[in-house]
Amino acid sequence: MTAAAPARPVTARAFGLTPLPLLRLLRIELRRSTMPWLLPLIAALFWFDSYRPSTGMPPLYVLRTFWNMGQGHTIIDFGPFVAGAAAWTGSRDGRRRTADLVAGTARPRWAAQLAAWAAAAIWAVAAYLAFTGAMFAAYAGQGVRGQPPWWWAAAGAAAVAAFSAAGFAAGAYWPSRFAAPLAAFGGFLAMVMSSQTGFRDTTGWALILPTDSNGNFQPDSGLLYPWLPDLPIARIMLLAGITMAALGLTGVRVRGDGPRMRLLAAAVTAAGVAAAGTAVGLAGTARLSAHGIVIPALHDAASDRPFRYAPACGQAAGVPVCVNPAYRRWLPDVTAALGPVFGEVAGLPGAPARAIQVGAVYDSADGGGGQPMTIGGRPPVLLLPLGAFGLPGAPGTTDPFFAFQLRLFAVHAFTGAGAAAGTAAQRAVQAALLHGAGVPFARQPSLLSSGGLPSWAGAAGNGGSGVAQGPVYDAARRLAALPAAARHAWLAAHLAALRSGQLTLARLP
Amino acid sequence: MTAAGLQEPLPGAAPAPRAERRAAAALRLPWLYLVSRRVPAALGLLAGLAALLCSALHWHWAIAGGAAAQQFISLTIEAGAAAVIAVTTYGPFGEAERATGRWLPYLRLGTAAALAAIAYGALAAAAAGGLLPGGTLALLRNLAGSTGTGLLSAAALGGAFGWTGPLACLVVTEVALTGNPTTPWVWAARPPHDLGGAVCAALVFAAGTAAITLLGARDGGRASAPE
Repeated sequence: MTAAAPARPVTARAFGLTPLPLLRLLRIELRRSTMPWLLPLIAALFWFDSYRPSTGMPPLYVLRTFWNMGQGHTIIDFGPFVAGAAAWTGSRDGRRRTADLVAGTARPRWAAQLAAWAAAAIWAVAAYLAFTGAMFAAYAGQGVRGQPPWWWAAAGAAAVAAFSAAGFAAGAYWPSRFAAPLAAFGGFLAMVMSSQTGFRDTTGWALILPTDSNGNFQPDSGLLYPWLPDLPIARIMLLAGITMAALGLTGVRVRGDGPRMRLLAAAVTAAGVAAAGTAVGLAGTARLSAHGIVIPALHDAASDRPFRYAPACGQAAGVPVCVNPAYRRWLPDVTAALGPVFGEVAGLPGAPARAIQVGAVYDSADGGGGQPMTIGGRPPVLLLPLGAFGLPGAPGTTDPFFAFQLRLFAVHAFTGAGAAAGTAAQRAVQAALLHGAGVPFARQPSLLSSGGLPSWAGAAGNGGSGVAQGPVYDAARRLAALPAAARHAWLAAHLAALRSGQLTLARLP
Repeated sequence: MTAAGLQEPLPGAAPAPRAERRAAAALRLPWLYLVSRRVPAALGLLAGLAALLCSALHWHWAIAGGAAAQQFISLTIEAGAAAVIAVTTYGPFGEAERATGRWLPYLRLGTAAALAAIAYGALAAAAAGGLLPGGTLALLRNLAGSTGTGLLSAAALGGAFGWTGPLACLVVTEVALTGNPTTPWVWAARPPHDLGGAVCAALVFAAGTAAITLLGARDGGRASAPE
């Protein structure tokens, strides 16, 4: 006869993970954590690297936050420092040679290590959220329009937690004073290489990298349509997986915690690896849509619905021009730029009766500037992807250049050239109309070869950076030299042939 | 009863020559200091960083962008070497060491200067086989400036956190490289022959060396420092 002991249920208490003592331990670790010492330095870098450069951008959240959140500068400012400080904490027992001493205490050593990590992570993530919140508050005070990229802020917080876990594990496995700098500089190099990989690999798994900025922000995200959460969710999954795997690894090597605890740690590690692997796999299925990166398994169709809004409208040569209210401050610039073009083409077949703003689409080859304006519908409507253009106030964009962009794209759409340079006749008519809209022939070649314009703008025949000479400009000058009524009549008679691409340069007057 | 005869050699043992004993005694203190600062491990890490630089130049690891962006990997490695030098200033003994060692400032100065020279030699040798952006002149300037910031941050925050200075410098340089900085204080973003940048880096190196020589790294004994 045996008295078999009843099987004990597997609970947190069985692992020594009761909450109250752990909370006490966490409180002690929070008080003695080294992380707060680094926060003033991180705050200064955050201001210098993440906030200050963004203030030079126009007051739209998508533009202000592309530098610091889209390109991951907030993570670069935080992550390496957090990894270094966490490595210092993780190496504590090894450096002080107290591992054997503390292995005999009542609490499992892994639980105590988790408390030390949690203290570092709480400080770091709380600081990240506080600094980001302060930055958004400053933006709000400056009248920045649109929705803040909350999902990207969450991904940044997850990245900070992952850095702390990875640094902590590095310190635990290599308890040396050099663990901290190596974790910090390794993290920094990884972030810099990650952002550069994004410039090279525009699709596939590379999109999962935390500072890969390729296509993650669409020009009108949070303005005309919601921020798509697909890619941030996948990144959070990856970063949570890294966090779990790193913390699990610290438990696997702890001495004196017993096989059950090590088994639990191994299971946590495996779960973390699985989560990270799944996230990488999901990123491999991502595709770029008009509203951002779509991952089919994570995509919610409700995120595709554009925002409803009451447009802000103005008049350009009698033609109504309507934009999203967030773009209201640029409405006078838009009407002033389009007015001369609408005046030139007024009364001609296909001349816009109205202009409305549509969502801009990022293009990995041409950036935002690759998107043309289009004219369609009855009566004809000029569709204006305003977010694709460099707005006045943005670095490298002046008011005259902004006006030139709008006039060029409107005339280009009117001639029917589409997303290409167009035929020689279309380029000649475009040059003549631009001249009539206030862009002299002599300035057109240099303006057309400016940065920020689509690749077709500087194509051969437009003159490049040279002078306005050649058969195209000769024909354009002849057309522009006609009296307004004669030019109008010629255009009315030949526009259909011009738009179909059948008109040759020789048939211009 | 006195202990006067305790230092006599054991009967039958050949007495060591006096000069040899003095030399051994003179070397013992620097050696113990170097070991306490983990200098042998630091030398290994510097060799590893040199190998990393050699690999980066040999296999043309590059960052997309202009000439400024392309020097970023080498800049990171140089700053990493400076961080290793700064972390060697961390001492575990605190007050006890300062109270008993009159040679301590000289040891600090000698160690920092020697490690900086060794780091420069190792990185320059590693770069000899490839095309280092800016050349060895820029390497000298950047390494000196980064080491200076590392030593300054060790004096301010503690030797264990001496790496924060070079890393912060690197982040600032990363931002500066995206523009066209005119200030010589971001020396790494200036051309190799820029006199202002070289002077600023030299000044920071001198300030860092002076601070670490005279004050030492901040530790728990001198003032409250992160532990």
